[in-house]
Amino acid sequence: MKNAPVLVVEDLYKSYDGMYVLNGVNLKVSSGEIIGYIGPNGAGKSTTVKVMLGLTEDYTGRITIFNQDIASGDVAYKRRIGYVPETAELYDSLTAFEYLRFVGQLYGLQEDPVTSKAKKLLELFGLDEDVLHSRISSYSKGMRQKVLIVSSLLHNPDLLFFDEPISGLDANSVMIFKEILSALASQGKTIFYSSHIMDVVEKISHRIILLNEGRIVADGSFEALQAKGQQGSLEEIFNQLTGFDRHRDIAQDFVAVVQEV
Amino acid sequence: MKAFKILKLMDHGRGFFEKRHVNYPALRAILQTKLLMDQRRVPTIMSGSGRKKHGQRERNHFLSSLWFYALIGLVLVPFMIMGGNYTFQMSLAYAIIMFIIMTSMVSDFSSVLMDIRDRNILASKPVDTRTINMAKTLHILIYMTLLTGATTGIPLVVGLLRHGVIFFLIALIEVLLSDILIIFLTALLYFCILRYFDGEKLKDVINYVQIGLIIAIMIGYQFVVRSFDLVSLNVTFHLKWWDVFIPPIWFSAPFELVLHDRVNGYLILFSFMTLLVPLLALAFYMKLMPTFERNLQKLVNRGGKQKSQRRFSLESHKVLCRSKIEQAVFQFSCLMMKKEREFKLKVYPSLGFSIVLPFIFIFNALHDGSLADLSTSKWYLSFYFSLVIIPSVVVMLKYSGNYKGAWIYKALPIEEHGDIYKGAIKAFVYKLFVPLFLILAVVFIVLFGFRIVPDLIITFLNALLYVYICFLMTGKVIPFSRPFENIQQSDGIKIFFLIFIILGFVGLHWLCTIFSFVLYGYLLVLLAVNVIVWRKGFLLAARSFKG
Repeated sequence: MKNAPVLVVEDLYKSYDGMYVLNGVNLKVSSGEIIGYIGPNGAGKSTTVKVMLGLTEDYTGRITIFNQDIASGDVAYKRRIGYVPETAELYDSLTAFEYLRFVGQLYGLQEDPVTSKAKKLLELFGLDEDVLHSRISSYSKGMRQKVLIVSSLLHNPDLLFFDEPISGLDANSVMIFKEILSALASQGKTIFYSSHIMDVVEKISHRIILLNEGRIVADGSFEALQAKGQQGSLEEIFNQLTGFDRHRDIAQDFVAVVQEV
Repeated sequence: MKAFKILKLMDHGRGFFEKRHVNYPALRAILQTKLLMDQRRVPTIMSGSGRKKHGQRERNHFLSSLWFYALIGLVLVPFMIMGGNYTFQMSLAYAIIMFIIMTSMVSDFSSVLMDIRDRNILASKPVDTRTINMAKTLHILIYMTLLTGATTGIPLVVGLLRHGVIFFLIALIEVLLSDILIIFLTALLYFCILRYFDGEKLKDVINYVQIGLIIAIMIGYQFVVRSFDLVSLNVTFHLKWWDVFIPPIWFSAPFELVLHDRVNGYLILFSFMTLLVPLLALAFYMKLMPTFERNLQKLVNRGGKQKSQRRFSLESHKVLCRSKIEQAVFQFSCLMMKKEREFKLKVYPSLGFSIVLPFIFIFNALHDGSLADLSTSKWYLSFYFSLVIIPSVVVMLKYSGNYKGAWIYKALPIEEHGDIYKGAIKAFVYKLFVPLFLILAVVFIVLFGFRIVPDLIITFLNALLYVYICFLMTGKVIPFSRPFENIQQSDGIKIFFLIFIILGFVGLHWLCTIFSFVLYGYLLVLLAVNVIVWRKGFLLAARSFKG
C-alpha cells in the first residue's frame, strides 16, 4: 500500500475577484507521509486546503482524493478526512462534550463509543471532566485547540489537514502532539501540516512543499532541499526561496523608528 | 441531553426526508445542536432581563422570550374585537404582525442564519449541501412557527370567538403567507446590503434594527392600554391604487371579499396578490439561495478600507478636557459609544425612550386641558424625566463587549485614575446626553415659549450634577472593562434609587420657580457647585476609591 496516491492535485487554479491565489498547483501525496505545507502569508496555503475539503468551490483543475474526484458531488470522501482549521472556529455556546458528540454524529458514528473516546482523548490532553462540561466560550486558546485536534481525530481518519494546529498549545502539549503525528504517520496516515513555525515543520515533516504566490517553488525532503544548494535551516531556505533577504535592513529601520519619539 | 420534542415529532417523518436523499441522522444532529444553541442565546427582546447565575438550572432563553412575544401580541386583540371594518382593522393588524416578526427575525435570527462558522464546521464533514440546506430551512421554519404562534395565538382565538370560523381560517392562512413574505424580504434586504456593502455594514444595519425594535416595543407598551379606545373608533377607508405597494392592505382584502361579499376590482386584485406574491417570493427565494450563500462569504472577509476618519470637529476633546490622559480617554470613549455595537444595543434604546418619556406626561396633561393652558403651566418640569437614562448609561460605561482590551489601563503609567473616569463621563455627556438635551430643549421651547430658557439651563446644570452623583454611587470601575454578562443585580437596585433623586431635583426646582429672583439665585449656586465638582470631584473620588 505504500506509495499508493492518497491525494492528487492537478493544475489547480483559483481566483478571488479576478486575482489568482492559486496558479497551477500540482502535487501527488502517498499514504504515510507527513507533508509540511509552508509559504508566506497569502501564498495560498489555506485556500488549497479549503478547496480540497470542498469548503470553496469555483476552482479549475482536478482534485482526486482516495481515487474519487471531489467535484463529483459525493461527499463520502470526507468521512476519511480530519481537519483543524486555521481560524479556531467552534460553536462556543456548546460544551466540549456537546460539540464533540455533534461532530461524531456528523461523521455518522454511534453516540456511546464517540463520547467515551472524546472523553479519553481530552483527558490524555490534560482536560478533565469539569472542563469537558463547561462552555467552549470560557476556554483558553490552547484548550480550544485541543478540542479541535480531538474533533479532527474522532473518526480515525486516513488523511489529516492541520492548519496551524499547535498555536496556543504549551510546550509539553506540543511535544505530545508531535509524537502523535509521527505515530499516526507510521500507521499509514497521511498528514498535511501547514504552519509558520519552521523549526517544527523541519523536524516532523518527511516532505516539505513550499508555496509562493500560488505556485509550488520547492518540493522534497528537507535533506533534498539542502542538497539542491540551499543551505542552512528551513527558515533560511524559506527566506531564500521566497526571495526575501531584507530582514536585517527592515529590522534596523524598524528600531530606528522606535527610537524617534 | 435534552430531547427536543420537535425532533421526536420529526422522527415520524424520517421517510419523507430519506426519500429526498437527505442524510437524516446528520440533519437531526445539526438541528439538535442549533436548537441547543438557540436556548443559550439571549434574544434582543430579553436583553434587559437578569442573567443566568452560575450553578442555576439552565434556562431556555428562547422559550421564555416567547412569553414576551405573546404579551406583545396582545396589541392585536383590539383589532380583532373591532366591528366589521376589515380593510381598516386587518391591514393595521397585519402591519403590526409583519413589523414584530420581521424585526425580531432581523435582530435575533440573522446571526443564526448567517453563522459563518457553519461553513468550516459543517462543510468539512461528510454532509452534503442538500442536508445542510434542509437543516437551515427547517430551523427557520421552527423559529418562525414558534414566534408567530406566540405572537398571533391569542389574537387569533379572540378573532375566532368574535368573527367565527371563516375569519379564523383566513387569518391563519394569511399569517403563514405573511411569514413567507417576511423571510423573503429579510433575505432580499441582506442580499442587497451584502451585494453593495461589506459584512460590517450589514452588522450595523442589524444593530440599528435591534435598537429600533426595542424602542418600538417600549413605546408600544404605552399605547397598549390606550389602543382599546380604538375599538369604538370607526374609520371609513377607501382603497386607492397606490395601496398596491402596501402588503398589509392586500392581506385585509380577502376578509372583505369573503365575509362581506363585497366585490370590486381592488379587492379581487389584492386578494390574488395576498396569495400569489408570497408564493412567487418563495420560488424566487429558492432560486436566490445559492447566490445568497456566496455573498455570505463576504461576511468573513474584512471590510474594505474605511473612509478616512473625520477629525474630531472643533477639537472638542481639547476644549472640554485638561490633562492629556483625560483627552485620550474622552476621545476613546466617544469612539466606543459610536462604534461598539453591543454597547449601542444596550444604551441607545433607553436613549430613545428618554426622549419620549417627558411627552407621555405632557400628553396626559393635554388630556385635561388645552394647548394654551399647557404653555403657561409648569409641565415643562417633565423635562426631568429624560434624566432617567443617566444612571443606567453611567452604569453601562463600565461594560463592553471588548472588555478584555481594558488591560491597557493597567499596563500604562497612569497616575491619576480620576482623569480616566472624568474623560469617559464627559464623553457620555458630550456624545449622548447633550444631543438628546438639545432636541428636547427645542421641542420644549416651541411648546412653552422662551420663558423657560432659564429653567432649561437649571435643568441642564442639575443634570450635570446628577451625572456626578450617579458616578459617585456606581463608579469605581474603569470604563469598558467588564463583560456585559457580569451586569450585577445590585446595579439595577442602585439605578432604581438614583432615579428617585430626580424627584428631589424636580421638587427643588419647582419651589424656586415661585419667585423669579430665587430661580436666578438657584442657577448661580448650581453653576458654582458644578464648577467645583467638575474641577475637583473626580480626582477626589478616584483617590477615595483607592483608599
